[in-house]
Amino acid sequence: MYRTLPYIALFAATMLLQVFLFDNLSISVYLNPLIYMAFIVLLPLDTPPVVLLGAGLLTGVAMDAAMGTAGINTIATLPVAFARPMLLNLLCGRDSIREGGVPSSERLGRRKFIDYLVIVILLHHTLFFLLEALSWEHLLHTVIRIVVSSLVTLAFVWIIARVFTVKLSVRV
Amino acid sequence: MRKLIEFIRSIYVVVLFVVLEVSAVSYYAHSSAYTQARLLARSNQWSGGIRSFFGGIRRYFLLGGENRVLLDRITQFEERLARYEEVVAAARLDSCLQSLGESKFSYRVASVASNSINRQQNLITLNRGRNAGIQPDMSVLTPDGAMVGYVVDCTDRYAVAMSVLNTSFRASGKLADSDYLGSIYWDGLDPHVVILGELSKYAEPHPGDEVVTTGFSEYFPEGVRIGWVESAELDPMRTSYTVRVRLAAEMSRLTDVIVVENRDLNEIRALQQSELIEQHTRM
Repeated sequence: MYRTLPYIALFAATMLLQVFLFDNLSISVYLNPLIYMAFIVLLPLDTPPVVLLGAGLLTGVAMDAAMGTAGINTIATLPVAFARPMLLNLLCGRDSIREGGVPSSERLGRRKFIDYLVIVILLHHTLFFLLEALSWEHLLHTVIRIVVSSLVTLAFVWIIARVFTVKLSVRV
Repeated sequence: MRKLIEFIRSIYVVVLFVVLEVSAVSYYAHSSAYTQARLLARSNQWSGGIRSFFGGIRRYFLLGGENRVLLDRITQFEERLARYEEVVAAARLDSCLQSLGESKFSYRVASVASNSINRQQNLITLNRGRNAGIQPDMSVLTPDGAMVGYVVDCTDRYAVAMSVLNTSFRASGKLADSDYLGSIYWDGLDPHVVILGELSKYAEPHPGDEVVTTGFSEYFPEGVRIGWVESAELDPMRTSYTVRVRLAAEMSRLTDVIVVENRDLNEIRALQQSELIEQHTRM
């Protein structure tokens, strides 16, 4: 936990961005990017599963309070935090995970990192938007929302990951 | 032995996950649009200031359009005022003024601190609360008098209103020139279109017809503009129309709103719940 401070800053930054910028993007019904995911995505590779779950719970509850959604964010974030270690195990093997460090395209390889982002974000957004719609009636509509919002989130998480890792390498 | 400890550790995380997830799901399952509004109203206690700040920046850029709308409205009122003055001057009827005296509805203004259109349950945060006399169940209109929503909950300095773009929103509406009722709701698809459902098959809606609120709703004054008919189709049973209504309020550009209080609301409610009525319905 030698990078506690940068992670607190990352948490605050993603929360503020989400609540005060992305929640106010009234561009289209289809666009509702949930970039606060970046915090869960960028936690160190060797984070213990319990800490991951705790972080998921914290972000979920904080976002629920700020957005006024009674639990959807928590429900969607917890499975992501839970599934992350297994997903990383599958994608890049036990050895590179034991090394630790921030997940980034340099450490995992560009291809694997993007795979990792896509799976995590799709899982999260699928849960979020299905729960928000809470019916199969407009399934196509919900699917479009999932895809469009996921793409935008993916782009922004990628940028946040870039900024976060660049800053670290300068400091260390 | 080590494997056993490893196993217990992994199980422990799974159990923790399941417990957390189940409690989150059950909290969500027991929530309603009202708990969500209450949640937002509480979190506004500390984030409301910053929200208002960003809302203020947005407002600045929309001031021009806002001004034009207001001017239009003022000219309309000037015209109406002139008409009344004419009546007064011509007839010198005191009774005319008296009947205009105290209106059933009272109006206040508020600014939008935050608003969204990209969710299924959209809520609007207003920068006035109980201190400014805002109370739950007041209706919210745009400056040019189109329906926006109604106040659900408030704190001392902020209020949260349910937007018409909320799948839990319900109001009653009718075509401007007829008396057939329907219920207004949003199907969660298009932020410019709401549905007027269960409209009688005799109502004959045509594209372009104006849709307004009825006086039966507890929240809205009668005749508040909702929008215009875009298209209408008979349901398969051929008993009622489902009408798509293009909203008059531009929900994504909301900056200032008018909050309307129905002074008689408490009296009407008290009357509806009175014991006499209960006695008669029981028989």
